[in-house]
Amino acid sequence: MTNTPHHITRRALLRAAAIAPVAGALAACATPQSQAPASSAAPLATSAANPFGVDAKKPLEVWIFDGGFGDAYATDIHQPLFKTKYPDAAIKHNVTKEITKVLQPRFAGGNPPDVIDNSGANAMDLGALAQDGQLQDLTPMLDAPSWDDPAVKVRDILDPAVVEFGTYDGKFSVLGYVNYIHGIWYSQKVFRDNGWTVPTTWDEFLKLCETIKKSGKMAPFTYAGKHPQYLYEPLLTMAAKIGGNEVLVNIDNLEDGAWSSEPMKTAATAWAEVGAKYLMEGTAGLDHVQTQTAQNKYQVAMLPSGSWLENEQKTTTPDDFEYGMFPIPDFTASDKMPHGTLHTQPGESFIVPSKGANPQGGMEYLRAMLSKKAAGDFSELVRTVSVVKGAGEGRELSPGAKSATAAIAAAGANTVYYRWRTWYAQLHDEAVAATGQLMSGGVTPEEYVQRLQKKADEIKNDSSIKKYKR
Amino acid sequence: MFNTYRRGLFITAFLAAPVTLYLVYVISPYAQAFYIAMTDWRGVTATPNFVGLDNFVRLFSDGVFWKAVTHNAALLVLLPLVTIVIALFFAFLLNVGSEGRGVGGVAGSKFYRVLFFFPQVLAVTVVAVLFQQVFRPDGSGMLNGPLMALGARPVGFLSDPDVAFWSVLGVMVWQAVGFYVVLFSAGLASIPRDMFEAAQIDGAGRVSLFFRITLPLLWDTVQVAWVYLGILAMDVFAIVWVMTDQHGGPDFSTTVMATEIYRNAFQHFRFGYASALGVVMFFFTIGFAILSLRLSRRERIEY
Amino acid sequence: MTSWTVANSRKLARQETRRRLGPMAMLSHLALLLWTVLTLVPILWTFLASVKSEDEIFGDAWSLPATLRWDNFARAWEQAHIGQYMLNSVVVVTFSTFGTMLCGAMAAYVLARYSFRGNRAVYLLFVSGLAFPVYLALTPLFFVVQNMGNVPLVGPFIGLNTHAGLVLVYIAYSMPFTVFFLAAFFRTLPTAVGEAAMVDGASHTRVFFQIMLPMARPGLVSITIFNILGQWNQYQLPLVLLQERDKWVLTQGIADISTAAGYDSDWAALFAALTLAILPMLVVYTIFQRQIQSGLTMGALK
Repeated sequence: MTNTPHHITRRALLRAAAIAPVAGALAACATPQSQAPASSAAPLATSAANPFGVDAKKPLEVWIFDGGFGDAYATDIHQPLFKTKYPDAAIKHNVTKEITKVLQPRFAGGNPPDVIDNSGANAMDLGALAQDGQLQDLTPMLDAPSWDDPAVKVRDILDPAVVEFGTYDGKFSVLGYVNYIHGIWYSQKVFRDNGWTVPTTWDEFLKLCETIKKSGKMAPFTYAGKHPQYLYEPLLTMAAKIGGNEVLVNIDNLEDGAWSSEPMKTAATAWAEVGAKYLMEGTAGLDHVQTQTAQNKYQVAMLPSGSWLENEQKTTTPDDFEYGMFPIPDFTASDKMPHGTLHTQPGESFIVPSKGANPQGGMEYLRAMLSKKAAGDFSELVRTVSVVKGAGEGRELSPGAKSATAAIAAAGANTVYYRWRTWYAQLHDEAVAATGQLMSGGVTPEEYVQRLQKKADEIKNDSSIKKYKR
Repeated sequence: MFNTYRRGLFITAFLAAPVTLYLVYVISPYAQAFYIAMTDWRGVTATPNFVGLDNFVRLFSDGVFWKAVTHNAALLVLLPLVTIVIALFFAFLLNVGSEGRGVGGVAGSKFYRVLFFFPQVLAVTVVAVLFQQVFRPDGSGMLNGPLMALGARPVGFLSDPDVAFWSVLGVMVWQAVGFYVVLFSAGLASIPRDMFEAAQIDGAGRVSLFFRITLPLLWDTVQVAWVYLGILAMDVFAIVWVMTDQHGGPDFSTTVMATEIYRNAFQHFRFGYASALGVVMFFFTIGFAILSLRLSRRERIEY
Repeated sequence: MTSWTVANSRKLARQETRRRLGPMAMLSHLALLLWTVLTLVPILWTFLASVKSEDEIFGDAWSLPATLRWDNFARAWEQAHIGQYMLNSVVVVTFSTFGTMLCGAMAAYVLARYSFRGNRAVYLLFVSGLAFPVYLALTPLFFVVQNMGNVPLVGPFIGLNTHAGLVLVYIAYSMPFTVFFLAAFFRTLPTAVGEAAMVDGASHTRVFFQIMLPMARPGLVSITIFNILGQWNQYQLPLVLLQERDKWVLTQGIADISTAAGYDSDWAALFAALTLAILPMLVVYTIFQRQIQSGLTMGALK
């Protein structure tokens, strides 16, 4: 071996380092180029039967998020229904677990698909899409006649929260298809067998945890420790219950001191106690499937989740498990919101990209999805609550769905929600990190709310981040 | 004259394809990245706005990014240090550490060399997924299972923010050691045997053999190893992104520059900002290259 | 008598050894054994888990499976498409490594053996790439590849979601390393043979393919191995450039199963898929371990 190569190594690397920025500057004239929109052909003539002017021969590309609900509902229910009206339109059906990874470049490239179920942990940032005008304005669909009855508008068969939630910059552009109902989930059989009762106050809840812990039969509580958003959900709902809906409104609007408000501190303190005393061992390192499976194996009694849970767990749940859910217990008698207050929000966000090849077909697909039959079959198949009014009527509901339906009936108008999670992705990341720390004792409740307040302030002061109000 | 022409034609023909490919796929994207770093591009629009150095000003107060930088810096020191120490130790044992007279490896040294190399041939993503399972926080984890059977509390290898970084480092060392054992073995093989034998006759024990002969003569190879491992430490991505909770968590305790770039670009859709982070990473990498070349500029030992 | 002396002296020598190096030797064997365990056990544990049932995987980590569940492999192969991804990886890496070596050798040879205006600049342009972090280029690269898709005629074959497109990208990104080491290697080769051939009337091209390349074989082999490993393990570039599932390479497939396990909770298939990804690599490596090890170290020490 000679010495030459090694000496070259040094000199060359040094020179290389020196020349690199120059090379960069030389070619700097190139910029990201985007194609012209693929072929946003003008719609055909519209009519009552064809309100968007769909070209019956144009193919339709559909992407479904392959998560808790799978994709059978799309291939077995929605697409056949669409086909009955448009037998000549070829549907290109796709599934993915990583919506962003797969579809973001399609948007950037100007050739997005026609219908997207933008859901899951890796969903696309709707704010960014809205900001760039990538979302089709779905208002015409709201005002179009419903699939089943020409006399009734689509708007009138929808849960009003759907419209509020789907509106970005004054345009209704995101259709939440499922009514997510959040709560604490348990096995009705386990509670019955052990004589445990559903707690209505926080004291009862803590006592129940203590009883379960002492019984030695299972751990009292767990959450998806790898994804602490599963825990900041009940924490925020509790804060809203204590301090009223404006707690969450202020947080969404990035108001000064919204995170460090008293109700937030109280709720954080309450949950930190659960974190310190009643968690299943190893919770911090487990994900939602692992914790939910542990519950199915009767290793833990309760966990926070949403109405998708029952379907997500259908393969591991014992037949007599009997899922049930209860709302966040009363913290004190002076809570601003009554017992039964629920966090509900439309989920499974369907969008129609405005720069896709067939946005008219996309809207028509959504309209078909909102037919009573499609929505009802969907609810039954994936055991959940649809946003279409009355779609669950006369359907055989599973125990968990029944329990959630009862809870939402009991809640009446006392429902809350928050939107900062989708509006400000950075704040979500920070809340995830901080909540994990709160539950494992890494930060105190005071530090927790201050830390999130600081992040919210940073976002508020960052001119490059688009702000939203509700 | 004709020869000169033929020669020129040959040179052009041979360089055409490689240079074209390189300019199109490597140089032009990098050049564009420098421009994108000065825009507010969110990745879905055709017309990004020019914002000058705003992104760079912003990143100075980005706590998470600087946390990532310190993690890269820690890896830059620890990964080469730990890997090289372990690899040198084994290379020495395998090549010089034989028993008795003469100089050779311990019995089965060939077997060990083959075996230690195994992790190197596995894809980083495979290693990341594999260790995700090894590190499971309950009794079903390869490590926590026995720990809990012994009555110890389970260790949150990936879920405890104080431990997770060390788990990442451990996995990187685990994968790297084999290659450097082989590398150093090759270096040792090129050292004349009689140097060791002469020293042994002089009564040098194995420890002094290592420090007086092996290390000085291997110094050049060690430097090469240091640069390689340093680049690995700067570029680390897949192990963190795939293996750790929350892609660099918990609580950003394992995040590195590359994951922050990816997160900002492909999760927050701030391509302009992500490119600015990339530019900073670029200068860090170049700084490291210059620094390590400066430091390694010392006399070679001729033999 | 003689045999007794020999035996005795051997025995004495052994005793001598044990006296001087005994505990040290024990310790070094212990250390080596420890690392062997550290290296092998996670891999073997994965193999073990791949034939367990879901319940057993979630149970005690070191329990043995009651029955061997080979169906895990069937699911990994068919439902998780590991077979398809592996084939894709093989196809891509075969072409990209070949292309890399051809382009790299051509460029390196010209740059190392011919002096002409701009030689230095071209060389440095290539080598400077060694210091670029790929993450900076990721986004624009996506658009470059996408725009390539619009090139007339060949466009559809080299745009996004095409293996040929990925092959070209791999080749381009392997250039800095390949040119750098091969140029160094070509410089060390003797010039006499090539010159003699030129005098005999051989063309530059012929000299390159028939004389220089065979002479450079050891260097080519080692850089080829480096490139195969590097491109086989690449995750970041395919992640961005190949989004259609059936085009995916193995690294994407494995990372996806890990994510997917979060929804489908098919952990058994995950372990089977891991095993399927690990085993062939180990087998190939063990067969070629001599060439691989000498090739790798040679490249690194150059």
